[in-house]
Amino acid sequence: MTRIWQLFESIGKVTLFGLKAVRDAFRPPFEFEYFLKQVREIGWNSLSLIFASGFALGIVMTLHTRSTLVQFGAEAEIPNLQSMSFFNEIGPLVAALLVAGRVGAGIGAEFANMRATEQIDAIETLSINSFKFLVVTRIAACVLILPMLTLFMDFAGIAGGFASEHVLSNLSWRLYLDRAFANVALANFVPPTLKTAVFGFIIGTVSCYFGYTTNEGSDGVRRASTNSVVLSSMLIIVSDVVLVKCIFFFFPDQAI
Amino acid sequence: MMNDTRNITNEIVFEQVSKAFGHNTPLRDVSFTVPRGEALCILGRSGTGKSVTLKLMIGLLKADRGKVLIDGQDIGTLDEDGLSRVRRKMGFLFQSAALFDSFSLGDNLALPLHRLDKTKSKDEIKTIVDQALDEVGLKKDKDKLPVELSGGMRKRAGLARALVLKPEILLADEPSSGLDRITSSEIDELLMKVKTERHTTVVVVTHDIRGARRIGDHFAILDQGDLVGYGTASELEKSENKLVREFISEA
Repeated sequence: MTRIWQLFESIGKVTLFGLKAVRDAFRPPFEFEYFLKQVREIGWNSLSLIFASGFALGIVMTLHTRSTLVQFGAEAEIPNLQSMSFFNEIGPLVAALLVAGRVGAGIGAEFANMRATEQIDAIETLSINSFKFLVVTRIAACVLILPMLTLFMDFAGIAGGFASEHVLSNLSWRLYLDRAFANVALANFVPPTLKTAVFGFIIGTVSCYFGYTTNEGSDGVRRASTNSVVLSSMLIIVSDVVLVKCIFFFFPDQAI
Repeated sequence: MMNDTRNITNEIVFEQVSKAFGHNTPLRDVSFTVPRGEALCILGRSGTGKSVTLKLMIGLLKADRGKVLIDGQDIGTLDEDGLSRVRRKMGFLFQSAALFDSFSLGDNLALPLHRLDKTKSKDEIKTIVDQALDEVGLKKDKDKLPVELSGGMRKRAGLARALVLKPEILLADEPSSGLDRITSSEIDELLMKVKTERHTTVVVVTHDIRGARRIGDHFAILDQGDLVGYGTASELEKSENKLVREFISEA
């Protein structure tokens, strides 16, 4: 019971922390230069992980679906199934979980270490608002970069699917793409991609919260990085349920 | 109308300041003043509230009771912007130097200049950073990351960063801790230079009595949360308190 209470307490504190970040994001001075640095750090440095994971997942997905669809003579639907699965769910969710693992843990550990070594206090003594400088820039970077990484994941997955299909059935790239995008409408593509901005907000807020608010030395670093990954992953999956319901409400065609 | 704070004789004033963390009370009704342009050394055993005193001066901690006045302004009552304005007058050298790990040495110094002095061009900032690093003998290490520096170099770099905005008040937390005698003597020389050449008010928390006696005009001795001695070295040598006499004459 205590652990459940602590979980809700943490979620409440993280929510207030996130709302403060939203408020401060629209107040000058704007840390544009440092924000761009974070975009580079979070986005560019995650690209290889996202591409490799998406490509491998694309291959695995095709191998699994092929064995089933072949039994019904429906292997021509593999590209379509691949693109719909990646655009709707696999791309956004897996990209978010990967970023939560790589970036979330990194931010949590970095801030906790900065707190332990008085670097955050040092920023304050230089008359710089450490919350705006460190927290707001990272949350904003996560919000901006996650939809882009999701797109990259989607196309890496489709590329992986093509590679698998090409080896197994010598399907051409052109035909694969025609079939993959035949039934993809904007409603299949845009809302699921944009929902990852919410995932980015969750990752940024949760990991910044655990890192920024700890003050427990090296044990705090370990705890902050672990808690960042665990809570942000859990909140991503829970919020995905809500967001998918919202998408179905606003785009009913998708629910069919 | 601008308030000319230079007319105030005592730049830092502690009035009956208390600070507690749970059951631990590192400061209890502590009062003292630091005159403008002078150096105060705060001495005492470990855990007696010396670093807490410095953090109260720069507003990193808030007093539970009493007032901390900087240039006549009670920093406990200031909002974020007001506190930021007061902090611009101050430089802080942390015990661990607290350099930003992900920034090169040059960028550590350039950050406050970029952020707080919008009138300066990038070239001007580069020149100021070069000069500041040159003063502490680290110009050739400008592109190194903090992790590549020794403890003494980090302290000197931390001092250069604290001074890069030419503060009126410099606060230094254990500037010579963990350093050999020669390096700590170099740090003391730099602090004395800052005091005499720039007329900066200096407050140093230290265990190094030899260094403290070189730098300090006044000394404050804390014991278990109480200010047990305050004055010049010769005054404290005549104190009735044995602990005060022991501390001040340890050299």
